[in-house]
Amino acid sequence: MTLLEIFDPKARPSPIGIDLGTTNSIVARVRDGRPVVIDDCNGERLVPSVVHYDDRGNAIVGHSARRLAQGHPRETIVSVKRFMGRGANDPETRRLGPYEFVEPRGPEDAKSVRFKVRDRVVTPVEVSAEILKELRTSAERELRSVGGAVITVPAYFDDAQRQATKDAGRLAGLEVLRLLNEPTAAALAYGLDKQQNGLFAVYDLGGGTFDITVLLLDNGVFQVKSTGGDSALGGDDMDRALAERLLQEMGATRRTPEVVRLALDTARSIKHALTDAERVEIELPVQAGEASSGRPGSKLVTVTRDELNALIAPLLERTGVACRRALRDAGVQAADVDGVILVGGATRVPYVRDHVAKLFGKAPLKDIDPEEVVALGAAIQADILAGSMERADEVLLLDVLPLSLGIETMGGVAEKILPRNTTIPAGARQVFTTYADNQTGFDLHIVQGERELAADCRSLARFVLKGIPPMPAGMARLEVTFRVDADGLLGVTARELTTGVEQKVEVKPSYGLTDEEVENMLLAALDHGEEDLLKRRLVEARVEGERVAMATRKALAADADLLEPGERVAIEGALSALDAAIRGDRPGLIQARTDALDEATRAWAGRRMDRAVAKAIAGKQVEDVEAKVAAARGVDAHLAEHRGDDASRAPTETGGPSAASTGIEARRS
Amino acid sequence: MTDPFDILGVEPRFDLDLRALEQRHRDLSRALHPDRYAGAPAAERRLALGRAIETNDALRVLRDPIRRADALLQRAGIARGEEGEQKASPALLMEMMESREELSEAAKRGDPARIARLGGAMRAREQATLAAIQAAFAAAGNDPEQLKGVLAMLSELRYIRRFLDEVSAIEEELADQT
Repeated sequence: MTLLEIFDPKARPSPIGIDLGTTNSIVARVRDGRPVVIDDCNGERLVPSVVHYDDRGNAIVGHSARRLAQGHPRETIVSVKRFMGRGANDPETRRLGPYEFVEPRGPEDAKSVRFKVRDRVVTPVEVSAEILKELRTSAERELRSVGGAVITVPAYFDDAQRQATKDAGRLAGLEVLRLLNEPTAAALAYGLDKQQNGLFAVYDLGGGTFDITVLLLDNGVFQVKSTGGDSALGGDDMDRALAERLLQEMGATRRTPEVVRLALDTARSIKHALTDAERVEIELPVQAGEASSGRPGSKLVTVTRDELNALIAPLLERTGVACRRALRDAGVQAADVDGVILVGGATRVPYVRDHVAKLFGKAPLKDIDPEEVVALGAAIQADILAGSMERADEVLLLDVLPLSLGIETMGGVAEKILPRNTTIPAGARQVFTTYADNQTGFDLHIVQGERELAADCRSLARFVLKGIPPMPAGMARLEVTFRVDADGLLGVTARELTTGVEQKVEVKPSYGLTDEEVENMLLAALDHGEEDLLKRRLVEARVEGERVAMATRKALAADADLLEPGERVAIEGALSALDAAIRGDRPGLIQARTDALDEATRAWAGRRMDRAVAKAIAGKQVEDVEAKVAAARGVDAHLAEHRGDDASRAPTETGGPSAASTGIEARRS
Repeated sequence: MTDPFDILGVEPRFDLDLRALEQRHRDLSRALHPDRYAGAPAAERRLALGRAIETNDALRVLRDPIRRADALLQRAGIARGEEGEQKASPALLMEMMESREELSEAAKRGDPARIARLGGAMRAREQATLAAIQAAFAAAGNDPEQLKGVLAMLSELRYIRRFLDEVSAIEEELADQT
């Protein structure tokens, strides 16, 4: 089923999957039921995630940009993903690299890194958007029309990093269907290929991030049990460690951007060469003035695989810690894992493979290219979300929240509201109360992370709920609701309960760029500004209106018996009104009529959902036989084995005597 | 509808078959997960999101014996939370205090064997308490007076749980250091 063919049957929009990587990015799509990588105009599959800004202000992306990096280290942004959602003062921002940053003017400004490139200021979101645009162009060349994208993110990305990625997609003119965790995407590509049930670990060591995910595959349901990692650890760190050594060999005491770029690039080539070779010889320039003769010269340096291994051993040890924790969180042992899937270019390093084999006691699977598997999985998920895949009904991804979400309470302690590894979408409610007499405001600080103190966690948002009538301490009751959607993005609502007056404040955590800023960037990126934006709004409104109309018609055909008297007339009226609006050119009207149709179908949608639930429950009782077949294949054997643990302890639950409504209060504002 | 047993469509009892429960959750997720409504009208998408959240939350509640017991008591109309909180017996409090002291001492010395031993002993006790709670639920049926008898055991289980959480935290810290 394609939803949009009414518009232009010749250019049927096809969904795409994008792996927006630290080092390389890939776009893929499903063709004839199988995911395939889309080549760029030069026939290359991998697009280096490198953006060069030339002196005319144009952005050059990919291989050409990579070649320019050496000569223009400050004008060429490499590994921008490491900066996504990070603040100007984040230690990660200040590591070995050739960039110039804009000094933040204030705390709000410091929330996002800003690169200084020539006379421009660019944010990581804009740089990422350039990469995404390049991929979109490749996809459009092959598909003519792109109908929404699934973009992958490291499972361990926090809310700010996810939000930044989604905005980059928007800025690139993509409809982001879903943010998908990279390991889950990889498992999807593997699982559908192998049709095998069991417990899997996905070890994903990319250019800049490390993820470990433990998941159970049960007849098309990919259920993530736990995830962990380090969003600042990857192949780049191997390059950095080796580059430090090269810089010493070069006698480079003055670390100019050019020298640093050269050392990093050389390190990467050496690392790649050592995948097959035991030793590599390389000629390095010795810095002028520092060579004995006082003139620039060169020096032959040998690096062996053992030396590289010694340099990266500490990094791998860090991945080991995360793996052990993920296994503990999933309540399983390394021996329970049926297969280990390798993802990310850095897993090509032989020492990494040995390390993984030792960690899990079995050789990792490597039948799908570790650099392509994520994009392939993203393409499958995009196809499922667009409803065009045959097996869409069988496949389902159940992912988890990677890092606990909480609120700062008295004494700066972070109280966890949603613990890590909670299945998403997820929601939780907590009641807080005032601690001082006549307190009229609540100052709420939302944080993400595992540390005890809020100051050590990632700060996501601060807001104040004002206008609480003066009451003795402990009388006002503030209910804070967290909701995490299927993208892993958080929304928070707060309301005051006692006064009867419901006061609601809705907060979306910000990572440093406001909605207006993103909107303005979007405007600036379009050639004819306002005019183009209006056109774009019209197209978006039509797409959404058509989609809702199609879905409604489909539902009318399937579940007409659930309509109550009068409903059908109302729905059909709303449908033809929407059709008329779509034929016109007023985006506002199309939106209003879409909303009206929405409203007319709401109650009926609830009844249809009840029916789907009843079916799911009833269907299963008939299918018990199949469950037993699955058990024979090993999945349920696993569960049964760990049932004891499950029953006795659910370590992430907060279940003390002070569970629901403690006297913890937010600080007075 | 906020009763987790109703949401997952399972019989309200303490000794749930957790494997069947997880299976039921997966089946319901197939029907309710937002991915299933990607092309649906906005109101329907919101509705599905809300129900998927409810389903996930219900599973979290029922998987946890303490919260599962709470849910059963709530069905029977027995107040829980602050009001229903049972005071622990002085003997239990004393015993827990001693165990915790021993644990923090073992943690300070970085003695994993002793930590493991303390954890093991407490896990055995947890199993025994769980068995007792299960028996009490079975015996009480729907009689509110008898059900109240579970409260004290639940309170004990909470203390045990917190002790074990601490053991896990210490073990995690020690593991991360090595």
